[in-house]
Order: sequence, then structure tokens, then C-alpha cells
Amino acid sequence: MKRKFKIFRYNPEKDKRPYYKEYEIEIGEGWTVLDAINHIHWYVDGTLAFRRACRSEICGSCAMRINGKNRLACKTQIKTLGKGTIKIEPLPGLPIIKDMVVDLDPFFRNLEKVKPYFIKYSPLPEKEQLQTPQEREIINEAAMCILCGACTTSCPSFWANPDYLGPAALLKAYRFIFDSRDEGGKERLEIINDRNGLWRCHAIFNCTEACPKNINITYYIKKLQNLAVNNQF
Amino acid sequence: MVGSKALVKRNKGALSWFLQRITALYLFVFLIAHFVIMHFTGSGEVTYQAVAPRLSSPLWKAGDLLFLIFALYHGLNGLWQVLEDYTKSRGLRLFFYSLILTMGIILLVVGTVTIFSVKV
Repeated sequence: MKRKFKIFRYNPEKDKRPYYKEYEIEIGEGWTVLDAINHIHWYVDGTLAFRRACRSEICGSCAMRINGKNRLACKTQIKTLGKGTIKIEPLPGLPIIKDMVVDLDPFFRNLEKVKPYFIKYSPLPEKEQLQTPQEREIINEAAMCILCGACTTSCPSFWANPDYLGPAALLKAYRFIFDSRDEGGKERLEIINDRNGLWRCHAIFNCTEACPKNINITYYIKKLQNLAVNNQF
Repeated sequence: MVGSKALVKRNKGALSWFLQRITALYLFVFLIAHFVIMHFTGSGEVTYQAVAPRLSSPLWKAGDLLFLIFALYHGLNGLWQVLEDYTKSRGLRLFFYSLILTMGIILLVVGTVTIFSVKV
């Protein structure tokens, strides 16, 4: 079966402005969008640039905008995309390096701000620290994040202001603040309790819709807002 | 894990977020009451004679004044949050903030005068 792909192209060193280029290729049964752009890259147009690695929705490299929605190319079956031309664009809200390759520095800078690692001040235990299933349940979904950036780059608050921490960083903050073994909750809450942090979330729900891991990100941001307010008033 | 009362000191948006919700709750309850009283109970007559006795009671004046303050806060705070998203320069922000503040004060004064001037 032949399918048409309309792909965003931009090489800042050569092109004055971005443009879309159409490719029509023969696709096989069960192909994902990643299979198709791999095919284009290997056999049709080697200048097409995009990131990919694991092709099994765990590395988060191939997040891109497919038919106007942020998704993982490797998770998106072509046959779920209807009949028309498939439009492929880079993640919005970030500087473009080339084609679908965006500069993720702002995304990871925001992530670093919330200290995305275990903090422990009391003496380390001799053995591994256990959690009860109930304690784990609280952070289970939030810990599924693969840092693909689909959520943060779908957030209009982030588009308007790249200093906003964004859903991915806030979700990471939740994952550690609500972890029974972590002791850095207070300092993390101090960091995210900021006009460019927690309080810039206006519950637009784009992040939740975009998340390829189906994490209810908005819910966890609201949990953090609740915690911050309960601690203050 | 954060204990129940970790100290989060400075107000950096938490207060306005919290008040936005508190005021929303009051507006919601008050508007429901408004609909019930104006459209489902009573004679349904909207004349000065019918409305003035209610508006001149101190309890209603208090409720209306609270409604005025909360509605102004809710609306203007919401507007400010949107503007804060999309304006970056300090000058522009200061301009909008003063505009919102001035508007709020003027409307508050006009509204308060209106509430207190109703007599039977």
C-alpha cells in the first residue's frame, strides 16, 4: 500500500525558511511511523534528520509531532492514522537543529532544576530500602516517564514561556517528593513553588493527552499544588 | 517524602492560586442561590418594589459586597495570570498590573457605593 508523508524540512545552514516535502512510499503491514521515516532515510532521501534509538517506546528519542499531535514515532501504527497524507513535524516550542531534531537543552535544564535524583541525608541503610506496595503505588505511574518531551512541548504555557518548568519536570518532582525513601521533598517543593513552576499550570491537559506512556500528568501536578497549598495555608 | 507541615515560606503564586479556588467556590454557590431566588422562587417579578427590600437588608448587603470583592478578584486575577503567561518585559507587565489594579479599585468603589445606596 502506498502512503504519502508530508515531512517538515529545515536545515538552518542552507534553508532560508522551513518547508514541507512530500514523500510517497510503499509501506508494509504493521509499519509504524518510525519504520516509514527510517525507510525514507535509508532508501529515498538520506538527508532527512531525526532521532531514534530503541524503536520499542522506552528510550523516548523519537517523539515528534505526527498529524498535529505529539507522539512517539515508534509507537504510532500507520494504520491508526486514517487514510490521508501523514504530516510529520518536530516537537513544537523548541529551537530546531535540523528537520525533526530539536534542541532539548531547555527541556533538560528545567528537569535538572527539580533535582531529579534520590536525596538522602540520614545514614544510608545497610541493605536496600524497601517500600510497601502501597507506598510504591503512589509513585508507580509517575515513575513510568521516559523523558521523551512530548508533554512539555505540547504545553501552551511552556510555548509562551520556556522558563516554565513544564509537565515533565513537575512530574519528576512528584515522583521524588512522594517517594517514601526520598528526603529531598522540602527543597524540591521550595523550587517548584514558583511563578514559573507549579503555578503556571492552568490545567490545559495537553500533557496528559500527549503522554505516550498514558501518565495522567495533570493529576500529579494538581497533587503537588495541593501539597504546596496545604503546607502554606 | 514531605511531612504534613513542611514550611514553604514565600508566596510565589500559591496564594493567588488558592484564592482563585476559594473565590470560585463562593461565586458558584452565590450564583446558584441567585438563580434559585430570582427564577425559581418568589413571584418572578423583577421590579424595584420586589427587589429593593431584599437588597436593603444588611445580610444581603454583606453577601453582595463579598460577591463583588470575590468576583473582581477572581476575574482580574485570572486576567493577570493569562497576561503573565504572554508578557515578558518588566515595563509591559508593570503597565498591565497597574491597569488591572486601577480597574479593580474603580469597580470596587463604584460597586460598593451601589450596594450601600439601595434603600427601601
